[in-house]
Amino acid sequence: MPKLIIDNIPVEVADGVTVLEAAQSVDIPIPHFCWHPALGKAGACRVCAVKMVDGPVKGIQMSCMLPAQDGMVVSTTDPEAVAMRRNVIEWLMINHPHDCPVCDEGGECQLQDYTIAGGHGIRRYSGTKRTHINQDLGPYIEHEMNRCIQCYRCVRFYQEYAGGTDFGVMGSAGRVYYGRFEDGQLESPFSGNLVDICPTGVFTDKTARFKARYWDYDMAPSVCPGCSLGCNTTPVARYRELLKMTARRNEAVNGWFICDRSRFANDAVNDPQRPRTPLIDGREASRDEALEALLLRIAQIEELYGSGSIAVVGSSRLALEGAALLPRLAECCSAGALCYFTSQEESDRTLPLIELLSSGKPASQRDVRESDCIVVCGCDPLQKAPMLALAVRQAWRNGAAVYVVPFGSAQGTEGVQKSTILQMNRWLSGVEASQEPKRLYDAISVHSLDAVPLADAKQPVLICSATNAPDRLAETLEQQSNLKLAVIFPAANSYVAAQLAGAHGAVSLEHAVATGKIKGIIAVEADIPPQLLEGIPFVAALDWRMTETVQAAQIVLPTTAWVEMDGTCINNEGRAQRFKKVMNPGVPVRGLDPAGHPPHIHRTIPPGGEPQPAWQTVAALIEGLCGEQITEPLSGKWERLQELAAESEGVMINDL
Amino acid sequence: MKILSDIAALLTGMWITWKHIFRRPVTIQYPEEKRTPYPRYRARIVLTRDPDGGERCVACQLCSAACPVDCISMQPGEEADGRRYAEWFRINFARCIFCGLCAEACPTLAIQMTPDFEICKRDIMDLVYEKEDLLIDGCGKSPEYNFYRHAGIGVTQQRGEGIEEKRPVDVRSLLP
Amino acid sequence: MIYDPIDIALILAKIGLVFFVILTLAAYLVFAERKVLAWIQDRKGPNRVGPFGLLQPLADLIKLLTKEDFRPIGADKWLFYLAPAMAAIPAIMIFAVIPFGAPLTLFGHTVPLQVADLNVGLLLFMALSSIAVYGVALGGWASNSKYALLGSIRGLAQLISYELSMGLSLVPVVMLARSFRLSDIVNAQSGCWFIVYQPLAFVIFLISIAAECKRIPFDLPEAEGELVAGFHTEYSGMRFGLFFVGEYINIIVLGGLAATFFLGGWHGPWLPPAVWFALKVLSFAFLFIWMRGTLPRLRYDQLMHFGWKILTPLALVNIVVTGWWLVLRG
Repeated sequence: MPKLIIDNIPVEVADGVTVLEAAQSVDIPIPHFCWHPALGKAGACRVCAVKMVDGPVKGIQMSCMLPAQDGMVVSTTDPEAVAMRRNVIEWLMINHPHDCPVCDEGGECQLQDYTIAGGHGIRRYSGTKRTHINQDLGPYIEHEMNRCIQCYRCVRFYQEYAGGTDFGVMGSAGRVYYGRFEDGQLESPFSGNLVDICPTGVFTDKTARFKARYWDYDMAPSVCPGCSLGCNTTPVARYRELLKMTARRNEAVNGWFICDRSRFANDAVNDPQRPRTPLIDGREASRDEALEALLLRIAQIEELYGSGSIAVVGSSRLALEGAALLPRLAECCSAGALCYFTSQEESDRTLPLIELLSSGKPASQRDVRESDCIVVCGCDPLQKAPMLALAVRQAWRNGAAVYVVPFGSAQGTEGVQKSTILQMNRWLSGVEASQEPKRLYDAISVHSLDAVPLADAKQPVLICSATNAPDRLAETLEQQSNLKLAVIFPAANSYVAAQLAGAHGAVSLEHAVATGKIKGIIAVEADIPPQLLEGIPFVAALDWRMTETVQAAQIVLPTTAWVEMDGTCINNEGRAQRFKKVMNPGVPVRGLDPAGHPPHIHRTIPPGGEPQPAWQTVAALIEGLCGEQITEPLSGKWERLQELAAESEGVMINDL
Repeated sequence: MKILSDIAALLTGMWITWKHIFRRPVTIQYPEEKRTPYPRYRARIVLTRDPDGGERCVACQLCSAACPVDCISMQPGEEADGRRYAEWFRINFARCIFCGLCAEACPTLAIQMTPDFEICKRDIMDLVYEKEDLLIDGCGKSPEYNFYRHAGIGVTQQRGEGIEEKRPVDVRSLLP
Repeated sequence: MIYDPIDIALILAKIGLVFFVILTLAAYLVFAERKVLAWIQDRKGPNRVGPFGLLQPLADLIKLLTKEDFRPIGADKWLFYLAPAMAAIPAIMIFAVIPFGAPLTLFGHTVPLQVADLNVGLLLFMALSSIAVYGVALGGWASNSKYALLGSIRGLAQLISYELSMGLSLVPVVMLARSFRLSDIVNAQSGCWFIVYQPLAFVIFLISIAAECKRIPFDLPEAEGELVAGFHTEYSGMRFGLFFVGEYINIIVLGGLAATFFLGGWHGPWLPPAVWFALKVLSFAFLFIWMRGTLPRLRYDQLMHFGWKILTPLALVNIVVTGWWLVLRG
């Protein structure tokens, strides 16, 4: 444990920690470009210079390259170090173009910040600037090589951290170039992180190109609803349009990065087809009218078909707030069925896994990254939960053994990196991988769980999918006390749905409809297959997406998307995480007025801005049915989640 | 005696104001008489064009960020040639305080202030100026500056052919 | 006592004349104040409405009448509505006892140019000017506003304090004229104005009436720099207009009284008596405007100090000295 003194503050750090990190641990900021907490050091930018006043090394040193040692006396404010850093900034700026006004990074640019902090304002060098020809890196990422300061962060992330092969560094000396060998779409499903990781504007988000500036962003800590991992994000919105998604650090979950599926998935929120106004039999109505009509229909259905003819249906994408109120709603309208799953199979598979997770040891992404033995059991994490595959790669890079047990639907595609993830998105249909696909990690294929030497491992993790879980999971977990389990669920809030379904004895909708009693369905953000709706005389839908259920419903009450409300979701390990409201609901300003600019009208609520979060509509229904007013949806078991901070690592609901 | 000097002071004051009653007033009878403002007078804001006739404004949002009363709003967009421009650009002159910080912040010299101070409307909504009301056919002050000639991105010229630029690097060159 | 119908008609005519002249004069005094202040400040003043801006008072009146009649939440409704009248009416009523010209002979009647020649005219003036204090006090209190309340508290203290020195400064006048009747006081000055005998009383009276009409340098109840508009902060439209016009009527009335008590009233050579009286009143009005254009506002403690520790003792000493002088002269 070396002890050193930084700016007169004594610091004691672990072995191998650099001086830069030691300084950060006592809140002394040292500027840096190439060093990154997740990528480590490169010693490329020279901007973290400090003066070593005393100790084993003396003089100006790069703090990111220097491990902390006993007896070091470091000064970050020494005039010599300050002058060095100032000069470094100035020579980094020698080739940097004069294009901040037309650069999307402007305002959130590390280089801009340090240039201003270093006091460099007027160009003294009278020579010309080197320029580069840019590449077309596909529909997601914009390339502008003139701005590059050669910190090597992009290539270190892309090749080392994310295992990509189609992007690298070329050339020498002043010609160093970061790009592909030829124009084309970046193939890694994690390529979007180049945008976050580049300290200046070489890589910018093409989908949010020329939309807004950092200081105008509507931002709030949020959680990705894309898969069950619950990676932390910061969505960025402006003028009621969701512009882009950026990664938010959560060491326990996603670390510093997110996958492209999470990053480039704004379409659902910005969809012009989104239901924005309540509908009664296809006629637009006010929210109060629609609520009134819905209460009336519920009464009519009960009168016609008797008590217990209504089914209240939630889903595994509904936030905890709404899902937790559904049992009360079912009680109030004396529903015949409370459902969280539509398919019986999904319900049957998920519920036992949740029980297993609540009694056993769920593995977080951090656990996966730090594991020394990983068993990928009958699933391909890259397909279902890409960040989990990236976590497996980090463990593999650190020497962990990765075993693959293929069975069922997943046969031998584990960790193969192609642009498959991207193909799920809107723009892409025919992008071919230019080379042989590369694996994110080398896996040892074994035929069954028994063949994995789990007993030798210190921190083993078993990864499986909820749709294809191995049969003897419970036994394996019992036998191997240190084995942790990571399950990939089909949707973001499957855990919530299964937990509540178990606690309140919910059945699947498939099962409820099969009894023939159900004559009315209240679907709360539920995707119900059309065949289940056949023969149901009345359907009400509360949703923010234009689903088939919404189209089939007689009464539609729009709700807010997750970026338009505060809420809680629980990820695949049972970690409750809070997401905050990013923007107000409403039709985006873009395209609102054919004149090209926003209309000259004063309004207190934007057009389409009436929708309320699903739980508030459910609460209004409960109030209309049995007069009970609900102001706080998280009560009882969930009460402790009320104080959960969105910036925290989240809280395991097993600990509640 | 102090009281006498105090009374004298009062009377001196009265005498000074008495004299001023007969002075010529300095008032300018505004709508009939007008004074010519100086060229750098800070009044109505315009958006200028570069010497090649293109819009100077790149909708970088610095003016709206600098504006202390938040009277400027805009939406950037991209032309086919990569030029960044304002899809719409709005200044609410009902709110503007004519401080000039926007013009000072403008990196492309697009937003400039003119000496036209007579901005009065019957309807306050008419004081919301859109881009078509703001854009003028001229360079205003600094007639020779074109941001894109210096910016290093290929909009008005090929990449590497701007002022202060080398030709693009051949990344495949093996020369040291 | 049986009145001749002609007497009654004449009295009504006088009342009408006084009302008309005073209100018009007050309105034009506002205009004159704005003009003179503008000249003092090298400006032109109102010159847009009518020739030389002469219709400005009319425009002001229309504006005041058409403004929203606003009453703050929590204000005491009746007192709030009553206060402006309490400020303006006593000021006008005082004018009833002021003789504004030599008696005329019309239709065989000797008509004193005075609405009511009371034998207690001076006391009536003192009483009415005390009632005017209620306008300030109630208006500020009923507004339910901190500024108004502070203004009215200041106004109350100031008006009561300076009423004392004002009353005391008039005692020597009564001693000289040996009457409370204002026509007697004017007649007593047909030879020599009382200002010659009583310069000190005149100065004390002048300062006190400046304080009584809340004029700079004694405008603490309004003090726009500190109290927004003091006791009438919450008033709008013609209710504010009544306060405003009451202040200017006060200037005319108190100017008239100063002329009556110390400058021989309507006495004067060559010119007709009414003209002399008007000239004297207007010069007092001009003096007040001129002072407003020149002097700064006193601090509250300075105001109180000046009133109680300087003016009142001086007035008392003056009474004693006058008394001794009268005794010695026999």
